[in-house]
Amino acid sequence: MFKTADGAEIFIIDGHTHLWDASPENCLNKYGTGFIDCFHGYQKFLSPPEYVWERPVFCKYGPEKYVKDVFVKGYVDVGIFQPTYLKEFYKNGFNTTEQNAYLKERHPDRFILNGSWDPRDGEAGLDYLTSLVKRYAIKGVKLYTAEWKGSSRGWKLTDPWAMRYLEKCQQLGVKNIHVHKGPTIWPLNKDAFEVHDVDEAATDFTELNFIVEHCGLPRLEDYCWIAAQESNVYGGLAVVMPFIYSRPRYFAEVMANLLKWVGADKLLFASDYAIWEPKWIIDKFMDFQMPQDLKEEFGVDLTLEVKRKILGENAAHLYGIDIGQHMKKLANDAIAKAA
Amino acid sequence: MRQDEVYGQLAQVSDPELDQPLTELGFIGGVSVEGGTVTVCFRLPTFWCAANFAFLMSADIRERVSELPWVERVVVRLQDHFFDQEINDGVNGGKTFAETFPELATGNLEELRATFRAKAFLFRQECLLRSVLELGWSEEAILDVRVGDLPVILLYGQGKVLAERYLAILQERGLASDATAPAFVHPDGRPVAAAEFRAHLEHAQRTRFSMEFNAAFCRGLLKTRYCETEEITAPDRSAGTRDKHPRLPE
Repeated sequence: MFKTADGAEIFIIDGHTHLWDASPENCLNKYGTGFIDCFHGYQKFLSPPEYVWERPVFCKYGPEKYVKDVFVKGYVDVGIFQPTYLKEFYKNGFNTTEQNAYLKERHPDRFILNGSWDPRDGEAGLDYLTSLVKRYAIKGVKLYTAEWKGSSRGWKLTDPWAMRYLEKCQQLGVKNIHVHKGPTIWPLNKDAFEVHDVDEAATDFTELNFIVEHCGLPRLEDYCWIAAQESNVYGGLAVVMPFIYSRPRYFAEVMANLLKWVGADKLLFASDYAIWEPKWIIDKFMDFQMPQDLKEEFGVDLTLEVKRKILGENAAHLYGIDIGQHMKKLANDAIAKAA
Repeated sequence: MRQDEVYGQLAQVSDPELDQPLTELGFIGGVSVEGGTVTVCFRLPTFWCAANFAFLMSADIRERVSELPWVERVVVRLQDHFFDQEINDGVNGGKTFAETFPELATGNLEELRATFRAKAFLFRQECLLRSVLELGWSEEAILDVRVGDLPVILLYGQGKVLAERYLAILQERGLASDATAPAFVHPDGRPVAAAEFRAHLEHAQRTRFSMEFNAAFCRGLLKTRYCETEEITAPDRSAGTRDKHPRLPE
């Protein structure tokens, strides 16, 4: 929770967090090493210097550090775990649903645990999805279209099997589909980041919500167009948020575009912890004022009300959280007491 | 100096996603010349940069450097990339993308290149449109501009460069042969109609903004990755000097 100078209390849901293990013991090959190095590059590039971690900690930080950075220091009330499996690169996976469940089991009201699926798993994968719902009552999944599987280098939301999985999600009440595009896709001659499959999926599955992670960067313009047309397409702000420190003008321009084309009700704050720490991002976001020229050009503003929506209300709506009740639950939990 | 000539050729190779020369982006790690053999070290902002773009740039490097009359052999060395070995072997062996990745690709990269060239077209057009709008031109005046007017509509500094860059991409697409044709057209050459001007401008603005953001992201990541304190952009060694990319705030 963030308390403003005037005493307003802002409930915060971090829409995208991880509890990963990229330690050398868990890395299978150069792809795994390259993956975590890439993440570390993002941290180094965009974080204030005092928030850059040493590599060994970055590779594996553990649950205690997560709790301290996200809930105690970081103002976050509820963290959403978005798993990333990558079993071709990491022995036990990078951060699977099962790995993340460790913290969910210890602090159930502090986490939304999301699952994942891969349409290339066929029938067996549909069974796995059903078992995730039974075991963890998941309400959302994170899909990584660039995931490698055997000789396959990626997939699309419009692949026939993906459509079957989306139908299953609809049946099982797994309503929130977080889509993350990455650098590999089959076939490799296509643009891996192209977002038009989200448009088709959103049109075909109107009961599902499609949250496009990092607002479809690097195809921000296409994402804005799609989100403007489809009422069930949302934007996760991980990767966008950290620009607030090193490139505040770019941050302002991105936010102006997003507020105009996507709307204040469909944007979700996220830190992508542990790539970036929520504390400094939220401090700066709460201070941030939209420049006058952008307010006029785009007809938008980052008011306190808009910030409240982005920081927690929008995600609470997607995940059925009553903020007032939930704040009471958390007021005296183990983490609040330890803070 | 032969190295300078090589850099001159490399300055003509752009990142297709960002429409900026590799030499300005810091992607060239080094050039060595031994007799007729040129080796170009090429690096990217992350280990995981898309393989298709990496291949396009590597192939373009090889093609451009091979144009120099004294060059007998070009060796491209993409480094620190998840498919560096495969791309180097393919490009240096004169293979197409489809031949380099027989299991993973269904075709070559013409479509990818065309998609991004159309985005670059809108980028360059938007920069120019923005300049004339800021000068107070009306929409009718703008839509009245002909191809033949472009060399003279803006005469100074940045504006002149923007007009030149837009004209260059019109020429590249075969859309500048008729001096009386409208200057402001869609990427496929259809004139922009008055009724759609606002919508077209917004579309172009989103495209320009997205590419600008991506370029800032890529430049910053590269600088962080290779921890360079020296000037990232190589000194402009090309014969026909090109300005640094306009409209890129830091």
